[in-house]
Amino acid sequence: MRTSLIALVLLALAALYPLAFPHLLSIAIFFLILAGWATAWDILGGWTGQTSLGHAAFVGLGSYTLAILANRYGLAPWWGALSGMALAALLAWIWGKLTFKLRGPYFTLSTIAIAEILRLVAIEEKWLTQGAEGVFIFSLEQPFGFDLFDRQVEYYAALLYLVLVLLLVGWLVQGKFGYQMRAVREDEEAAQAAGINPERVKLIAFMLSGALTALGAAIYAVFLSYLEPHDIFFLPLSVQIALTAIIGGRGTLFGPLTGALLLVGAGEVFRNTFAEANLLIYGILIVLVVLFLPRGLIGAWRYRAIRRRYARSAQR
Amino acid sequence: MQEALNADGVVVQFGGLTAVNRVSLKLGKGEIQGLIGPNGAGKTTLFNALTGYVRLHQGSVKLFGDDITHLPPYARARRGLGRTFQIERPFEELTVLENALIPAFLKTERRQQAEARAWQVLEQVGLADRAQQPSADLNLARRRRLELAKALALEPRVLFLDELMAGLNPPALADMIAFVRGLSETGLAILMVEHIMKAIVELCDHVIVLAFGEKISEGTPEAVTADPRVIEAYLGGAGAAGEESPGSADEPTNETGES
Repeated sequence: MRTSLIALVLLALAALYPLAFPHLLSIAIFFLILAGWATAWDILGGWTGQTSLGHAAFVGLGSYTLAILANRYGLAPWWGALSGMALAALLAWIWGKLTFKLRGPYFTLSTIAIAEILRLVAIEEKWLTQGAEGVFIFSLEQPFGFDLFDRQVEYYAALLYLVLVLLLVGWLVQGKFGYQMRAVREDEEAAQAAGINPERVKLIAFMLSGALTALGAAIYAVFLSYLEPHDIFFLPLSVQIALTAIIGGRGTLFGPLTGALLLVGAGEVFRNTFAEANLLIYGILIVLVVLFLPRGLIGAWRYRAIRRRYARSAQR
Repeated sequence: MQEALNADGVVVQFGGLTAVNRVSLKLGKGEIQGLIGPNGAGKTTLFNALTGYVRLHQGSVKLFGDDITHLPPYARARRGLGRTFQIERPFEELTVLENALIPAFLKTERRQQAEARAWQVLEQVGLADRAQQPSADLNLARRRRLELAKALALEPRVLFLDELMAGLNPPALADMIAFVRGLSETGLAILMVEHIMKAIVELCDHVIVLAFGEKISEGTPEAVTADPRVIEAYLGGAGAAGEESPGSADEPTNETGES
């Protein structure tokens, strides 16, 4: 109850943000999209326990699909977004089929290759992607007369995206599939003893995670309106998505959002205050959280809350 | 007696080593069978072969007449084959209730029903008052009971218990023995690997003795403990027979022999 009240207040504040800070929209849009990506990443990385360092592949797939379909066939961006999601799910399925026999760090290493392969494809297949030159999105359909290149429209699209991802994940994790994901994360053999097929659970989680990342990427593509293979299929982007979720607290609904707030917020503050030293401080912050709060910020808080609640109930 | 489990000529090899060699067993509904033998005899390997964690090289396994020889572990669990692990495997980050919830979801899509089932098994094993505790914090006896709760939440028809009693103190052991007896009275077929002879003698109708991967003896607990081949397997070496029966030690090992 209290959580939903807080969520509603935050949502109302977020909805009013463009009116209060009309000149600080770009950073907010990036924050919303990153939070959505990290929450989507967490379906696989946090709830199912399969760390991916290749989510930039889905970012690239989602954004390039929208751009190419719009530029070549004049397809409306929502169809572009849906196609991107479908392709992302397909890629996740194929990749999962190939690599879920691998465990732990080996799977993670293999994911780095996904984005790398797609980056090379984007650079080499010039007929499709215009290679290293990049793709410029010059016009898009205007739904209900909204100009999608307007920052305010993009802001609300990104907000809607984040809310959608949070609602979906929130619904997912309290049901059957949510507990199957947790079981696979904790112990695959014990999960099998509970009648769970770990490969199937991981595949579905990967596909959902990839498709939702691609959805955010569609908004990101319009936001950037210019796509370059080196920026989009970028390993540091994959790492940033993963770190956002890990620092905030993997396997918690609001952890990735908290991580995004911290990383984007701290990034801005440090860049303005410390100029060149900002990356160092950023790095130190990450090391501190990983060393002292391995469950992440929200994860640590939640674990303590569970213990406290139990201790209190046991005293009675 | 209806046949719950029928394993025929099971062979398991690791590289050139034959860990289980042509072992057959039949388990009836409501029956408790014990699987004993010195350390390294292949008990846990046989267990893992029957539950699908280890591949069979030869032989077949049938569950209520259906061939499950080539099914993966989760498919066997769905067909009613429940198991506990020798080293307990709670889902550590989760609470006791959530641990029981996961297998309880097998038979339903709805959270409410699964939760009702989870509470029911926690009541049954006496962990209901611990439901909200993180499972990583449980002591040994309670972790064992959680293992049992997780297996029971599947509503199994055949239950495999892998050293469920080891390390329990006498009152906890007595509780566990009574509990397992209660389970078999509901018609559940139980196969247990156990070193605690007290549990074997009190519970089992039929005992199978493995040594070096082969079945060397079977019969009632009294019969097998008196069997010279069994005594030799445990104590290793001729002449040891009669000095000490495996029944007199809680943890008989094959290192006790001086041969």
